[in-house]
Amino acid sequence: MGGRASGPPPLSGRIGRIWRALGSLFVLLVFVPPLLLLVSGSLTEPGLPPSPTPQVIPDPVSTAGYRQALAVGGVLRAALNSLLVAVVAVPLSVLVAALAGFALARLAPRRAALIVVASLVALMVPATALLVPRFAIFRVLGLTDTLVPLIAPALLGTSPLYVLVYYLAFRALPRDLYDACLVEDMTPMGIWWRFALPMVRPVTAAITALTFVFTWSNFLDPLIYVYDRDLFTLPLALRSLSVLDPTNFPVFLAGAVLATGPAVLVFGLAQRRFFHHDDQTGRNRP
Amino acid sequence: MLAPYLVGLVGLVLLPAAVTLALAFTEYDLVNPPSWAGLANVSELVTDPVFRVALTNSLVFALVAVPLRVLLALGLALLLHRRSFGSRPARVAALLPTAVPEIAYGLLWLWLFNPLYGPINQLLRVGGENGLTMLGRTPPQWLTDPTDARAAIILMSVFTMGETFVVLLAARRALPADVYEVAALEDATGWDVFRRVTLPLMAPVLALLVVRDLIASLHFSFVPAFVVTDGGPPPYATTYLSLFIYRTGFEYLRYGYAAAATLVMMLLTVAAVVLQWRLFRRYRAFYRL
Amino acid sequence: MSDVDLTHDAGLTLDGVSAAYRGVTVLQQLRLTVARGELLVVLGPSGAGKSTLLRVVAGLEPVTTGRVWIAGRDVTADRPGRRNVSMVFQSYALFPHLTVAENIAFGLVVRDVPKVAARERARTAAEQVGAAHLLGRRPGQLSGGERQRVALARALVREPDVFLLDEPLSNLDLALRVQMRAELRALHDRLGATMAHVTHDQTEALVLADRIAVLRDGRVEQVGTPDEIWHTPASRFVAGFVGSPAMNVLPGSGPIQPSGAPPAGMAGEREIGFRPEAVVLGEPDGAAATVDRVEVVGTDAYAYLTLRAGNPVVARVPAAHRPARGDAVRVGVHWADTHVFDATTGLRCAA
Repeated sequence: MGGRASGPPPLSGRIGRIWRALGSLFVLLVFVPPLLLLVSGSLTEPGLPPSPTPQVIPDPVSTAGYRQALAVGGVLRAALNSLLVAVVAVPLSVLVAALAGFALARLAPRRAALIVVASLVALMVPATALLVPRFAIFRVLGLTDTLVPLIAPALLGTSPLYVLVYYLAFRALPRDLYDACLVEDMTPMGIWWRFALPMVRPVTAAITALTFVFTWSNFLDPLIYVYDRDLFTLPLALRSLSVLDPTNFPVFLAGAVLATGPAVLVFGLAQRRFFHHDDQTGRNRP
Repeated sequence: MLAPYLVGLVGLVLLPAAVTLALAFTEYDLVNPPSWAGLANVSELVTDPVFRVALTNSLVFALVAVPLRVLLALGLALLLHRRSFGSRPARVAALLPTAVPEIAYGLLWLWLFNPLYGPINQLLRVGGENGLTMLGRTPPQWLTDPTDARAAIILMSVFTMGETFVVLLAARRALPADVYEVAALEDATGWDVFRRVTLPLMAPVLALLVVRDLIASLHFSFVPAFVVTDGGPPPYATTYLSLFIYRTGFEYLRYGYAAAATLVMMLLTVAAVVLQWRLFRRYRAFYRL
Repeated sequence: MSDVDLTHDAGLTLDGVSAAYRGVTVLQQLRLTVARGELLVVLGPSGAGKSTLLRVVAGLEPVTTGRVWIAGRDVTADRPGRRNVSMVFQSYALFPHLTVAENIAFGLVVRDVPKVAARERARTAAEQVGAAHLLGRRPGQLSGGERQRVALARALVREPDVFLLDEPLSNLDLALRVQMRAELRALHDRLGATMAHVTHDQTEALVLADRIAVLRDGRVEQVGTPDEIWHTPASRFVAGFVGSPAMNVLPGSGPIQPSGAPPAGMAGEREIGFRPEAVVLGEPDGAAATVDRVEVVGTDAYAYLTLRAGNPVVARVPAAHRPARGDAVRVGVHWADTHVFDATTGLRCAA
């Protein structure tokens, strides 16, 4: 019989299940509160003296933090810049990754292996190690203090990881189907667009979401390339909020919520994809 | 079809790496063209106490934070890989901190750690008097005491192990069910199953993730140290290699010197990659991958 | 049929066992006994519940009703490790990180048998299945047949009360399957162990079994020796499933009239079954038929015919005397070679 799911058999059935449920509850209790506090903190009235006890629901609930954040940091303008970067970089990045992954999957194994190894190495290099030389290069090209360096990582597919993910996904498609396309005399571009890409739609969805999250959250690149306040992206604008007095914490927390919102939202929509085996494994259902 | 990616790979990774190598032997301040400095940068690095502190901080951070992160991710993956009541929301919850933009995450902890306003110390003070904890001790001075500040950065980084968690979760789910059934038939205890089945089967993935995380730790300590502790408490308790490079280059405008420090970082990375390659080779022979 | 005499002191007894998988009933009130030292083969098409049956015995799946007895003990509530059974999986389920010796000794080691003793017993077990030369290797370095032997050795190292074999030969190529089949039978005779072996391969069942239990939709259709299953199939289903090509089954009323004296009990709606080898071609007063196609398998040939009434019939004939496509032939059969089934229930009528 096929389709046996992973996971050990019902070893100690009910007791095991209770322990697992308690474990899940514990995980929720550890990981959710910081984010809840972020939201509740942002809704506190700014400028109040510290309360002696932690407050989960602020008293009074106030949106003053948000109003001040929008007023002070040029947050609105920055949000627009972030959006602009994302709108250009995310589709470009996914396109580059999907094309490169496809080309790798169709390349002779030896040459593909070379590029895969290069990609793995590139994946390993810590981003901070490239700060100085990349800056020097963009400086020479006269591109500092523009949004171009923020979009440039799209040429890498944002992360070589995504190229490799596409590579594996395309390689996993049955060879016969590629051969069938070749028999139909389709061009490589045609095979990619009309056959391969539709077959890996879940991968594209997940990678688009992650690319957006990383582009939207990118802090390091704007930090070193952008000085003009009019070009600040949202993460950079938030940084200027961090120097506010602690009594004004609701203001910078409000800014943090504004930056977090879209990322978490997109991430939440995509998270199903990371666990998408879940629904096929019905065996260990409670 | 590969062209744009190759341009990216060469232009954004290979070329910068080469430029680092060149810049490391020059003096460069953006205003004047780079001038050849020979080994001056390297010899200065060797004697620079700040660099030495930064390097030590980075290594200590890696050796403490990475095992914690991987152990937490492994524990979560083993706990949540099966469907049970609450496992789905718990998985999402464990991933959420990773999705929060670094800077917003930093701001959040800047507040959480605030000795007066921060909820953490507010919580620790519950039941105590005069600003002391219930046990009559002073609550941690998170951002002003060197040890507490380092602990704070580690605590922050432990929460963002989402990627490692996802990979381990997938790895655990990929293990065949039947070997676990054999173990059940042999009446193996939970500990035996973990020690003799799960752990060895996941060892290759775990080893690769540890190496990856060691390298990444050079990078992910940057924003917390930059935003939350500002490299302090003074003088350099949480100045890591990444922050040192940033400061040297972009604040003191000594790009050549920063490139030399970057070179050290790259050497560490290369060492880790070599280690990883050897592990991979060894496991490949082992498991016939 | 299901009125098997159940004795709880047998090697293995399933007493009214039902089991469900994802809310669908897979086993229904199953009653089955395997005598001590017997090799019972559970035969059935895929989806009949064969694997579930083994997993229920092993305790890997829970029962919804009924009880499971192993060697005189009611083990229904016991966890798998307490049932003293061992199982050979279709995929062999070897631990890739352990050597063959460590794989075989796994059950002993987790039961805290001293290392030296465990190693000795693993070696003995490996010798019994002809795998002694593999002890130092890892599963990744073994061929399918070698893995099979190691899995067997692991199953017998602990001397369990019952061996459960879940299609252990199905991943082997044909030649190896035939060889392992014989070795498995020899091993069983040497050990005198109680074994339950699951397969969908009727040849394997006929060759290997002391008795065969034919499973259909989670019920036992028939239990009997290979001879009984072959010569007196209890139902149209068993008759059709055992034998290749399958038995011809025609309406009793018409298209073909067997010669000789009809058996008693031909009243009512009946169906007549007869195997391809029972068909006589060229019987002068047989039914008229045309030859659609002929398959030659060595010295035998199978002629696929259509009777004038439209029913298909398969006949086995010597290849030397085979008809050609399009030939008109006359088809006959003797009552002595037929099986009579009730047309509505599909059950066998009379003897």
